[in-house]
Amino acid sequence: MTLQKDAGRDCTRAWEAMPWVLRGDAPATQDDWLRAHLAGCHGCREEFAQQERLREALSLPSDLPLDADAGLARLMARLDEEEARPPVARRRVSSGWLVRALAAAVLVQAVGIGVLGVKLRGEAPPAPVYRTLSSQDEAPAAAGSLRVVPQAAMKVAEWNQLLQSLHLRVAGGPNDVGAYTLVQEDGKPASDETLQRLRGTQGIRFAERVAGAP
Amino acid sequence: MSDADNQADATDRQLLRRMAEGDRAALSVMYRAYHGRLCRFLSRITRRADVVEEAINDCFWIAWQKAGTFQGESRVSTWIMGIAYRCGLKALRQHGSEPVDEDSLPEDRTPSHDPDDDRVMRDWLGKGLERLSADQRVVVELVYGVGHTLDDVATIMGCPVGTVKARLFHARVKLRNVLPGLAGERNIHRENAP
Repeated sequence: MTLQKDAGRDCTRAWEAMPWVLRGDAPATQDDWLRAHLAGCHGCREEFAQQERLREALSLPSDLPLDADAGLARLMARLDEEEARPPVARRRVSSGWLVRALAAAVLVQAVGIGVLGVKLRGEAPPAPVYRTLSSQDEAPAAAGSLRVVPQAAMKVAEWNQLLQSLHLRVAGGPNDVGAYTLVQEDGKPASDETLQRLRGTQGIRFAERVAGAP
Repeated sequence: MSDADNQADATDRQLLRRMAEGDRAALSVMYRAYHGRLCRFLSRITRRADVVEEAINDCFWIAWQKAGTFQGESRVSTWIMGIAYRCGLKALRQHGSEPVDEDSLPEDRTPSHDPDDDRVMRDWLGKGLERLSADQRVVVELVYGVGHTLDDVATIMGCPVGTVKARLFHARVKLRNVLPGLAGERNIHRENAP
């Protein structure tokens, strides 16, 4: 009973060792052990013989009618074709997902524009079709006042310091495009020098006289 | 890994470096060196010669473009076989595995030399492999035909080593039961492995 169990265990071990012994990269001890086992085990000897035949069959060159030189020529032609294409087109080939994503975005935009067009056509045209920063909104600005748009990143302290140094104060704003209306503290029209200093200040995106001002 | 394997890998790495620099001569050397191996390997996935060639060229197309990204975590041959495996599966999904008419093949694909003895052995092997799944055939080819370790095969197929072991085990059990009969032998082994 014990002998049978041991024999079964040995056959399992032999089964596992066979591929690596056949490949010739099993440790010498494993190789020796398997050879010794095969000498006394008919079943494993037959199995090993079949494994050898299998390996031999698998080692035969492919029977598919393929010519390496012809295949290589086709690959080189493909590389030539790719290199002859402009970089943008090449990038398009290598980024299929990007192309699809962009196409989807364009499609969504086209649908959106179409829907918007239909909607607008059904409504009465709005009176002002556009507005400028110097357009007058709620209340008319005083003569000589300025329209100024600070950058979003500009700090309040910097803004206040700038107004103080130029003797300006906020008379209105910000409107819906972020423009403030500034006037001189003394009520006089702002000078060209003040305007130039505003334009030259870092953090000021836009500075202009209100339309009609001197 | 044997000295011969180490030497072959060093040569491959050098070729890959040259390919990364745009050296087409290095690509040609690599292509010719691997063509036979890849041909046989991919023929375990599909018997369509045109699909095999497409997969080989896709494989080297990718290797050419990715040569500079090779990290050296495995042997170059393992890296290339992994690319070829994925290209083979992709080509198989696109085209199926049915053979095409010989007439439809380009004229430069000439039949290889096939002596009678080899043909008998190929038929025997082919009938045996027909009983296996594609993944089992690939494992058998990589272990017995190409001579990769289980770790290499796991890297190539992108699966755990345990999965490779299981595929190899089941493939061997199936072959053990069908191959003797296909060879005309009367001795059919029992269904289970020892």
